[in-house]
Amino acid sequence: MNQRQPELTLSDDAVRHVANLARLAITDEEVIKAREDLTAIFAHIDCLNTVDTNQVEPLDHPTELINHVRDDTVGKSLSQEQVFSNAPAVKDVYFDVPKVLGDSE
Amino acid sequence: MNSIQTTDTFNAFHEVWEDVDSSDGSLKDFTIAIKDNIATKRGTTTCGSKMLEGYRSPFNATVIDRLENAGATLVGKTNCDEFAMGSSTEHCAWGPVLNPWDTSRVPGGSSGGSAVAVATRMCQAALGSDTGGSIRQPAAFCGVVGFKPTYGTVSRYGLVAFASSLDQIGTFTNSVEDTACIMQIIAGYDELDSTSNPEPTQNFIDDIHTPVDTLRIGVPSQYRGGNNEAPINDAITHAIDTYKELGATIIDIELPLTDVGISTYYVLAPAEASSNLARYDGIRYGHRTTESCKDLFELYAKSRAEGFGVEVKRRIMLGTYVLSSGYYDAYYKNALKIRRLIFEEYQEAFSQCDVILGPTTPTVAFKLGEKEDPISMYLNDVYTANTNIAGICGISIPCGFSKEHGSSLPIGMHLQAAWHDDAKLLRIAQMFESATEFHKAKPECCS
Repeated sequence: MNQRQPELTLSDDAVRHVANLARLAITDEEVIKAREDLTAIFAHIDCLNTVDTNQVEPLDHPTELINHVRDDTVGKSLSQEQVFSNAPAVKDVYFDVPKVLGDSE
Repeated sequence: MNSIQTTDTFNAFHEVWEDVDSSDGSLKDFTIAIKDNIATKRGTTTCGSKMLEGYRSPFNATVIDRLENAGATLVGKTNCDEFAMGSSTEHCAWGPVLNPWDTSRVPGGSSGGSAVAVATRMCQAALGSDTGGSIRQPAAFCGVVGFKPTYGTVSRYGLVAFASSLDQIGTFTNSVEDTACIMQIIAGYDELDSTSNPEPTQNFIDDIHTPVDTLRIGVPSQYRGGNNEAPINDAITHAIDTYKELGATIIDIELPLTDVGISTYYVLAPAEASSNLARYDGIRYGHRTTESCKDLFELYAKSRAEGFGVEVKRRIMLGTYVLSSGYYDAYYKNALKIRRLIFEEYQEAFSQCDVILGPTTPTVAFKLGEKEDPISMYLNDVYTANTNIAGICGISIPCGFSKEHGSSLPIGMHLQAAWHDDAKLLRIAQMFESATEFHKAKPECCS
């Protein structure tokens, strides 16, 4: 169930968990600072609980446009050279990355 | 180009470009600076972030093509808070931008460089982006006109995404008429932005000097009073009197959700940002760590930790948290419900009035380093964030000066109008500008 009540005090582990989900390496010092900052922000955001939102439908976008589709025709797109032009590491015609599966060596 | 480099002791520009021949068009005489989060084939597009240091966009944002086709001379890229996250332009990887009215103070943000470029007359106009006040607040702090159009009026194609349902490109100028001239070119449907408005483009120019008849101005009680510095309340009272003299009817209205706007914004915007900024993975473009990594996860985590600054990481974590399993309903979904209530609150208000008037900010430009804690920084946007949450249009225009802090610091008046009433909003702003001289004042450095 997605109904857990908000916690106003974050633990260090909760901060590490969020950093992990967000793919951000974080030092122990940064954990402490982030915990303090996020706790203060959540304390402020807590005022949202004072608004009665029963019977209110979420509004996720300010326009009423729905599924704007274009014609299914081939248009101009970037060349392979353009696509690779900002890549930090390229090997032949691929982005070069560390090994994804198996042993890393 | 040389004159900009000589004048820019404020760090407004990240890059100044050589003059090139421009084509003929209605913007032939315009020199325009571009916020560094709008993609340009010329130069770099860094978003004020080490993550995108040296990044060269292979394409132009739609607004860039439109400006160039209309004959505008683009003069360079302006500094901003990293990924447009901030209200002071202190969080820029290339150093803080200084306010030309008092260089110990911030120019506002996140489009601080663009505001300063126009305030100092280094160029005639600049583009910025506004997600919660990032055009209007620096316009107020720097004494220029800053316009955030209705969501969907200007194509976002090529605007580096921060919070896609809130982001909108807009303008900085020294007059409302200049705003109208640029809007006439950059507004309009773009098939490359699926959220752009497919309706025919409004005409911003033809009636700009025609006053709006039977003008009804709504003044919310929530925009007056104790939270604002005294000179700001005084300037707004004078502005209301000016409109009364021009024949407007003033209507007392209520916007009770003004106070929860910032909290709503700081759930929605970081949530969208955490998703949008997931693209910076150190693989296809952007910063990659030089440390050895045992696997892909470590490459992502280290590259992102090194490339992003403190405020961006804070918002990514905040957004990740409110979207995470167990907290989604309590924070994100609840904020979306409040978004609907804010939307409806404006609908109700605009059934009573043509435009809503108040201050753009509760204070004038603050000192560099004065707002270290994130919440006091966030509260700068108390009057501007709901505009984006609802998707309506808003403009900040110069309406006075405060001498409370020693130096003479500009005050901005904020006018908000209903969805797609942009051209009418500019006419209403023009009425005030034609009756006053505030927009003509220049900082000492360029007078």
